Amino acid sequence: MAVEAARVNDDLIEALREIVGPRLSTSAAVCEQHGRDESYHTPHPPDVVVFAESTDEVAGIVKACARRQVPVIPFGAGTSLEGHVAALHGGVCIDLGAMDQVVAVNPEDMDATVQAGVTRAQLNTYLRDTGLFFPIDPGAEASIGGMTATRASGTNAVRYGTMRENVLALIVVLADGRVIRTSRRARKSSAGYDLTRLFVGSEGTLGVITEITLRLYGIPEAISAAVCAFPTVADAVNTVILTIQSGVPVARIELLDKRQMEAVNTYSDLEYAAAPTLFFEFHGTERAVAEQAETVQAIAADLGGENFAWATRPEDRDKLWKARHDALYASLALRPGCRGWVTDVCVPISRLAECITETTADLEKSPLIATIVGHVGDGNFHVVLLVDPDQAEEIAEAERFNERLVMRALAMDGTCTGEHGIGHGKMDFLIAEHGEAVGVMRAIKQALDPDNIMNPGKIVRV
Amino acid sequence: MRMPEPDAGIIARRSDIIAGLRKIVPGEGVIVDEDELRVYECDGLSAYRQLPLIVVLPETTAQVSAILSFCLAEGVKIVPRGAGTSLAGGTLPLADGVTVGLGKFNRILDIDYENRVVVAQSGVTNLGISDAVRHRGFYYAPDPSSQIACSIGGNVSTNSGGVHSLKYGLTTNNLLGLEMVLINGEVVHLGGKHLDSEGYDLLGLMTGSEGLLGIITEVTVRILQKPECARALLIGFSSNESAGDCVAAIIGAGIIPGGMEMMDKPAIHAAEDFVHAGYPRDVEALLIVEADGPEAEVEHLIERIEAIAKESGAVNVRISRDEEERLKFWAGRKAAFPAIGRISPDYYCMDGTIPRNKLAQVLKRIGALSKEYGLGVANVFHAGDGNLHPLILYDANKPGELEAVEEMGAKILRLCVEVGGVLTGEHGVGIEKRDLMDTMFTEDDLKQQQRVKCAFDDGHLLNPGKVYPTLHRCAELGRVHVHRGQFRFPDLPRF
Ligand SMILES: Cc1cc2nc3c(=O)[nH]c(=O)nc-3n(C[C@H](O)[C@H](O)[C@H](O)COP(=O)(O)OP(=O)(O)OC[C@H]3O[C@@H](n4cnc5c(N)ncnc54)[C@H](O)[C@@H]3O)c2cc1C
Ligand SMILES: Cc1cc2nc3c(=O)[nH]c(=O)nc-3n(C[C@H](O)[C@H](O)[C@H](O)COP(=O)(O)OP(=O)(O)OC[C@H]3O[C@@H](n4cnc5c(N)ncnc54)[C@H](O)[C@@H]3O)c2cc1C
Repeated sequence: MAVEAARVNDDLIEALREIVGPRLSTSAAVCEQHGRDESYHTPHPPDVVVFAESTDEVAGIVKACARRQVPVIPFGAGTSLEGHVAALHGGVCIDLGAMDQVVAVNPEDMDATVQAGVTRAQLNTYLRDTGLFFPIDPGAEASIGGMTATRASGTNAVRYGTMRENVLALIVVLADGRVIRTSRRARKSSAGYDLTRLFVGSEGTLGVITEITLRLYGIPEAISAAVCAFPTVADAVNTVILTIQSGVPVARIELLDKRQMEAVNTYSDLEYAAAPTLFFEFHGTERAVAEQAETVQAIAADLGGENFAWATRPEDRDKLWKARHDALYASLALRPGCRGWVTDVCVPISRLAECITETTADLEKSPLIATIVGHVGDGNFHVVLLVDPDQAEEIAEAERFNERLVMRALAMDGTCTGEHGIGHGKMDFLIAEHGEAVGVMRAIKQALDPDNIMNPGKIVRV
Repeated sequence: MRMPEPDAGIIARRSDIIAGLRKIVPGEGVIVDEDELRVYECDGLSAYRQLPLIVVLPETTAQVSAILSFCLAEGVKIVPRGAGTSLAGGTLPLADGVTVGLGKFNRILDIDYENRVVVAQSGVTNLGISDAVRHRGFYYAPDPSSQIACSIGGNVSTNSGGVHSLKYGLTTNNLLGLEMVLINGEVVHLGGKHLDSEGYDLLGLMTGSEGLLGIITEVTVRILQKPECARALLIGFSSNESAGDCVAAIIGAGIIPGGMEMMDKPAIHAAEDFVHAGYPRDVEALLIVEADGPEAEVEHLIERIEAIAKESGAVNVRISRDEEERLKFWAGRKAAFPAIGRISPDYYCMDGTIPRNKLAQVLKRIGALSKEYGLGVANVFHAGDGNLHPLILYDANKPGELEAVEEMGAKILRLCVEVGGVLTGEHGVGIEKRDLMDTMFTEDDLKQQQRVKCAFDDGHLLNPGKVYPTLHRCAELGRVHVHRGQFRFPDLPRF
């Protein structure tokens, strides 16, 4: 199977031009930009980038590549963090950004169908007057196609789930260029293998997703958000654990450590306390929100959390969450010129305090500069290591740190990635964690993409 | 209903196969007598019956693993079976196949309140999980009406739901991990106690796979704290349309009730005659809507739902005053199937799911079909999810009636697909909807699904004849396994 991938030649370029006309580029700058993501990983530019505008075009492009066994790398917004879009074997990058149409919104059924290039913010702007919203909000302006392909999550997964729970059906161009539809708009189905689930999180390795039908939610009657500082990270995390265990349906609960708060204050011009902090949000009826907030305030107070700063006006809430969403960029600004290495472990909630405490201690011993943020309600947190990719010793140190962190999480019955996916950055951890199941994943990859042209070198080695 | 032609060669080797299985599962775990095999001849879809070649009841994962490797080596087909309550014929035996029953996998292995997780063997009943944690105020949310009997492994295999799935999700939304055995005997662990897992979503893929990809031996599920309070409304309407409008209006108002079920007149009457739940007899449609959560919130929601109901033209609204009355409201709905069983010698339960806004339209067309075929239909459904369960009433002893029911049922399911829905919301495809799969999926869609099968079981030994109308050689599907000009499975059955 390990045949060397074929390279792009003039004949293929000609065939692609017939499909997309001038929407094709081989310029070094464009290729470079499409072979890198927002992480420390070394960029690998594709040989050519094509900008597709329809499912038919994508099908034509994939067919042309399949015939010549040339790799195809789907590209959404390029915000992934594990070298997902790196063209490890060259090939054709399909940029789906121009597929930016909202195809249909069905308010009565609370679903919407969008093209892959629509971003989450575009979708929510489009939905503004319907009283509905789409909750999943990774901290970057990602495309819905990319979010589907990485099974993305966000700050409110604790309440609304991840892409896994919120994709109802897909249109996918397969590795040989045929087009399938995985399901329908029905809210539930037990008809046949759940290919929807299989494609959600497949990172472009099984096909190109061109259309996505999503679940929408009604904007809650009442929303309120709050910020609360704690004496130590452990106190903050224990507040999270008790909140989750007491069954309070918080919509968001996010942790930022002291250094991250300093970074956020500087970057977003805010004046929060420089201390470990939780950001909360509650959704529901007026009464339910009031009751939830009271319970959480009591738990926090027991653990030394004080001065709940409330934001009930939409503009204040937006400011608060904008600061949270900008956390990565705020961290990067602490060390100009650095790149972020973002770890992504996730552990059962009962082990979260232990895992974060040990990780903080490990960090204190290491020379690395880092911040900690996390979707802690899910047991998921990120250590953002600020590294200089040109310093080999620093990268090696980060690697060792990350490996210790992942092994710590696995020993606690956790996982190496809660939301960012495998890409090519975490393939070895997948094996450490899943053992035999990786064999099944490889068999699936081989069955659905026998020539290994779809984003080769990601998730599993063939 | 055509099934793959039994392989006479396998049947001829029955005693060798029995001997092989007895080496793995000693004593009474291998069932061979006709009388005892009879127990396994059908499942909840009792219109179709077949004696299995052999039944084996393993007790450990190691035994399941040995059984599967043995069957693979011998080329023997396998039908996995939980509690056999499938309504789609998913466990219909094969004359040349071994039924592997998980009845002895009945232990709960771990209850972890801190993480709100239960780990159970796959044969534990759905209700058994809730029972094990009830004293601490917890429960397992998906609640199929068959929950006293059906197994958690069967629930995973069909992605079962229940009356509370609208708010709390189907099996797939409450499942965190699995231990399963592949056809080659390998034991695989998927997921665990943490939120999400990485790589391909094998857990999602296994959910609803109807025994075609492997045998599930252990299941990790999320448990929830019982809501502080729950109250139900019983809302009567003079037409199905206004009931449908009310469902849309409640959801449209941003309310996700704990449960929202609808019954039509024949179902209301049958249920009322059977359990005396206090349902009004003079309405065309009845909604049961439940609000759950903290007391203050429930009160507020009940008020809002009541107001919406009246705006939608409800002719009759009752609100449960206490827990006893709430349970009574539900008793009628939960007993709807046996209640229908009392008024008709036989009934056939369908399971189409449609986008919610097509409800009234589809009900009207079902009414027309009922007239056309002269067969009564009672409708109960998970209205909030758009999941219909039309029950077609018939008498199997009347010649031709089953065939008429099958034809009418197929028309109802086609109708569901036509309005943008699916063939099955929660019961699975089995043999029942197998030959209708092409109304919902194109040839390419189906081939792609079967490529997945090839990754797990390219010899089609696991539950063949279920879900897919034709078996494709995996080689034909693009994964060329031609060895010296020979296909590995030259005589794969077509049906
Ligand atoms: C500041 C910052 C914060 C972040 N926060 C979060 C967070 O909170 N939660 C989270 O989950 N992630 C987060 N991420 C990671 C990233 O935003 C997500 O992984 C996102 O889903 C990627 O979407 P994209 O459109 O940028 O995809 P890309 O980066 O373009 O692609 C990602 C992968 O998906 C494939 N792909 C893209 N589009 C398609 C398609 N249409 N069909 C098939 N395959 C496709 C690509 O081949 C690639 O393998 C963050 C990233 C940054 C930079
Ligand atoms: C009166 C009645 C009411 C019902 N109400 C509902 C309802 O409200 N909601 C609902 O969703 N369903 C309902 N059902 C259908 C049925 O109970 C469910 O489909 C249930 O999940 C089947 O579980 P089981 O253990 O009986 O599985 P079985 O019937 O034994 O098997 C079902 C399928 O799963 C496979 N399978 C079973 N166990 C395993 C295993 N361990 N490993 C691999 N494959 C396996 C079988 O091969 C078969 O294809 C009802 C059935 C009845 C009779």
